[in-house]
Amino acid sequence: MNVVVCVKQIPDPADPGALDPNTKTLKRDGKLILDESDSYGVEMALQLVDAAGSGEVTLVSMAPNGEVSGLRTALAMGAAKAVLVSDDALAGSDALGTSKVLAKAIARAGEADLILTATESSDGYTGTVPEQIAELLQLPSVTFAKEIAVDGSTLKVQRQTEAGYDEVECPLPAVVSVTAGVVEPRYPSFKGIMAAKSKPVDQVTIADLGIDAASVGWAGAGQEIVEIAQAEAREAGTIIEDDGEAFAQVVKFLDDLKVV
Amino acid sequence: MNTNDHNFSEPDERVALRESVAKLAGKYGREYVERQAASGGKMTEMWLEMGRTGFLGVNIPEEYGGGGGGMSDLAAVLEECASAGAPLLMMVVSPAICGSIINRCGTAAQKQTWLPAIADGTHLMAFGITESDAGSNSHQITTTARRDGDEWVLNGQKTFISGVDEAHSVLIVARIEDEKTGKLKPALFVVPTDSPGFSTAPIEMGWMAPEKQFTLFIDDVRLPKSALIGERDGDLWQLFAGLNPERIMGAALSCGIARYALDRAVEYAKERKVWGDKPIGTHQGVAHPLAKVKIELEQARLLWQKAAALYDAGDDFGAGEYANMAKYAGGEISCNATDVAVHTHGGNGLTAEYGLANMLVAARLGRIAPVSREMILNFVAMHSLGLPKSY
Ligand SMILES: Cc1cc2nc3c(=O)[nH]c(=O)nc-3n(C[C@H](O)[C@H](O)[C@H](O)COP(=O)(O)OP(=O)(O)OC[C@H]3O[C@@H](n4cnc5c(N)ncnc54)[C@H](O)[C@@H]3O)c2cc1C
Repeated sequence: MNVVVCVKQIPDPADPGALDPNTKTLKRDGKLILDESDSYGVEMALQLVDAAGSGEVTLVSMAPNGEVSGLRTALAMGAAKAVLVSDDALAGSDALGTSKVLAKAIARAGEADLILTATESSDGYTGTVPEQIAELLQLPSVTFAKEIAVDGSTLKVQRQTEAGYDEVECPLPAVVSVTAGVVEPRYPSFKGIMAAKSKPVDQVTIADLGIDAASVGWAGAGQEIVEIAQAEAREAGTIIEDDGEAFAQVVKFLDDLKVV
Repeated sequence: MNTNDHNFSEPDERVALRESVAKLAGKYGREYVERQAASGGKMTEMWLEMGRTGFLGVNIPEEYGGGGGGMSDLAAVLEECASAGAPLLMMVVSPAICGSIINRCGTAAQKQTWLPAIADGTHLMAFGITESDAGSNSHQITTTARRDGDEWVLNGQKTFISGVDEAHSVLIVARIEDEKTGKLKPALFVVPTDSPGFSTAPIEMGWMAPEKQFTLFIDDVRLPKSALIGERDGDLWQLFAGLNPERIMGAALSCGIARYALDRAVEYAKERKVWGDKPIGTHQGVAHPLAKVKIELEQARLLWQKAAALYDAGDDFGAGEYANMAKYAGGEISCNATDVAVHTHGGNGLTAEYGLANMLVAARLGRIAPVSREMILNFVAMHSLGLPKSY
């Protein structure tokens, strides 16, 4: 079984990020790391390939300046190879532009039985790329997977909902977005790290993928960030005095949040 | 001319190794260590996970189940654990001292028996050289081994030996008679902790840690011939094979503790406000000691990295001088950093909640063991500076 995982390389969330005042987008000129949201998809893919007994995991990423740091992390976890799309013309791409590029890169990665993504990236949060990729590739799209099993050519997904989960089935190949936190991503082992050095990263430009520069980047973006505002300060919390009935209010509070 | 002869940044792979270890160790952290120490538990869960991920055995050759890296890698692993609040003291002993000695001096069969299990953490080997009447002076060792037919019979006592309650065996330094000269010389024996005649008594220490120290009583412990490390009847250089790794690891451990303490202190100095809206870190009285710790910490790290690089390049002699200096610098900075961290926290620095008071004591270990600050100064005075021998 061959699984392609889309992984984003993002500025380290531990370092305070900075916005470019002109473009109103996140600055990405420093070292980028593997988005933690994507480590769950990588782990799930490795487990699925393991369970299938054959096949490999291929990574697909779009990043500026030929960035491979985050890819090396996922290769060290056990992925076999990667396709990296890096092209100056991609600066300013919106979600749809990104999806076009990733869809082409997935096709370049070879026959895939399954394509995994995160539900959304930790630095962009648009949360629309997985569905757009599926549409562009004309494949079924399943979102918010918390568990994935493969039965012959059928995919069985437990799809997380606010109340619990739905059981969803669809034919393979398909594009599935994986919810963060549903598996425990393995730590890259020392051997994995050493092996990752020599794993192939196929670095390509949009010309290699046959993409028209006018359809991506600033030129092709149908989305524009018009204003940036400070997030509102958090409001003071509610203090409940326990008169013996406080539990009911706590339960109601949690219920309103849909966490119970 | 190649201007890049000296490379002062670690290779990408070591940086990635550090990141991966920091993640794993961060999952455990200080809370885990304190919980285990308070309940009499051990670091076993973290230890075995570190072993499974290949981190404990990075320095062991690949053919014996290790990572095929060097002391630079192993010391980086330990520094990351300590800086995440989870200093794995037994890494100094099992993979570094015992692993290096067996790898360099052991027979093929001994390597096969012990190295893979040391590498994956399933065999923990303690190390016993210190005796009550031979602390800093290892020439005074009185534990002896004599041959009896095909066996060795060991007798003696050891003290301050770490982790014997969790260890499967202890690598014991004993003296044997040289067959040719009849003189006594040191030799190393792997003594299983369940050997008849081998018993232990815990030493109550003044701080909380999962790793305990023990006095060992070795009374007519009979060992097979294969328990003696090496082909021939031991050799002094076998002991030396373990000394540089021990010091490099001691230094890295101390630097990790210092990093942990400094990080906590800096966080606190940025947040704690007692004069209007300015955090205490605004005051140079608070900021300068922290900056000084940062500088001295980087000095110490450079020293152990250099010592490890020399060791990995096969230069035992050069490594010896730098490993000693690194151990000295490490001991100083772990003491200074924890001291400054406690002070930066004011009263909170001495509370159990912040955990720094306990660390203040633990950090002193770097000045005392495996070799005291004064013995290092003796070494540097004599070997680096050519001053007369003082002891
Ligand atoms: C927590 C802990 C764990 C340990 N774990 C192990 C272990 O696993 N295995 C093991 O074998 N040992 C272990 N040790 C022992 C450790 O290596 C010794 O404590 C150390 O070598 C110092 O020996 P000592 O305690 O007998 O001090 P002493 O030798 O009695 O020294 C006391 C003081 O005198 C000074 N001094 C001694 N000689 C001189 C001199 N010539 N010139 C100037 N000053 C001098 C010393 O610097 C020191 O300050 C451990 C110790 C501790 C505290």
